[in-house]
Amino acid sequence: MKSLTRIAITAGLLGLATTALAQPKPEAYVKERQSALSLMGWYFGPLGAVAKGEKPFNKDEAVRATTFLVQLTKMPWEGFAAGTDKAGNTKARPEIWAKQDDFKKKADAMQAEVAKLAQYASAGDEANFKKQVGAVGGSCKACHDDYRAK
Amino acid sequence: MTPPAPALVAAPVWDIFVRLFHWSLATLVVIAVVTGKVGGNAIQWHMVAGGGILALVLFRVMWGFAGGEYARFISFVASPARTLRFARGLIGRGHEYVIGHNPLGGWMVLAMLALFTTQAVFGLFSNDEIMTTGPLARYVSDETSIAFMSRHRILAPVLIVLVALHIAAVLYHLFVKNENLVRPMLNGRKSLPAALAAEARDGRKASIALGVTLLAVAIAVVVTVFQWSKLFPG
Repeated sequence: MKSLTRIAITAGLLGLATTALAQPKPEAYVKERQSALSLMGWYFGPLGAVAKGEKPFNKDEAVRATTFLVQLTKMPWEGFAAGTDKAGNTKARPEIWAKQDDFKKKADAMQAEVAKLAQYASAGDEANFKKQVGAVGGSCKACHDDYRAK
Repeated sequence: MTPPAPALVAAPVWDIFVRLFHWSLATLVVIAVVTGKVGGNAIQWHMVAGGGILALVLFRVMWGFAGGEYARFISFVASPARTLRFARGLIGRGHEYVIGHNPLGGWMVLAMLALFTTQAVFGLFSNDEIMTTGPLARYVSDETSIAFMSRHRILAPVLIVLVALHIAAVLYHLFVKNENLVRPMLNGRKSLPAALAAEARDGRKASIALGVTLLAVAIAVVVTVFQWSKLFPG
């Protein structure tokens, strides 16, 4: 009986310890999503300049940037976990959590556009690449318009 | 309800630059609103439209001092008392003919000029944090250009409300006061009671050469601003 109690207490403490470890603070989620979105901006910005003709198209650079972007654009969404709507210094609007389906739809649409952009980059298809940069930009904006504080 | 129509005589009121300004501005504002909403690669055209709007309002401010009689601010900026009196008459049964902008319209012109200029300047310094920055955004901190972006977004619907009010006033004149204000803005000629028409005919005429020069100055200023980073690198 005594050993059973000990096991139960140990298990309980371990459980508490692991939940404490597995559950980052809300601010950490905000940091996660903002970091991912900042990196997306870092790698996408120069492609915008290419689309506008301010920078020449370079296949190697385009492949490098889009390879990163395909991975980066998968990242920020887990940072929008429940209960993180008011944490830290966030511009995320509460509508994100009220309209989860639409938010996810727009996030998925953006990732699909980025995947296409990566294909045009590796195909070295400059004309379509430039057009597709606009489509990606539009998919960023679709979400910002609805879910980001003005 | 229609007020009794006095005998009206057509007289030249809006000079060619006022008309060109008006319809070019209207067109560019529509383009700016649509391309701003669409985003993506259309944003390039949004910036072109914004530059055009800035050039037009700069021109119009100069023209407000140097244009034809009824283009001048001094001819249409009315005192609050006069504006109030006119507004009362507007709600009432009668109809007061005015040669140029009526007192309320005059204030609307000033409000729109001020706010379109403000909106264009906000745009110059804006950064949308996606793929577009205004031509002067690089000269301020990221924090500042993001704040300008935010103001640019907030002011946009205010401008749309102003434009809607402007159009509503024109429709009110057309259907309630039985005065067509659109046609004069197209052909420059307003139908007025005889005494006002005679006064309008004597009004100062616009100088075409001066108008072309000022328009060129306004365009040159805006092109310089947009090309600033290329003209003065480093």
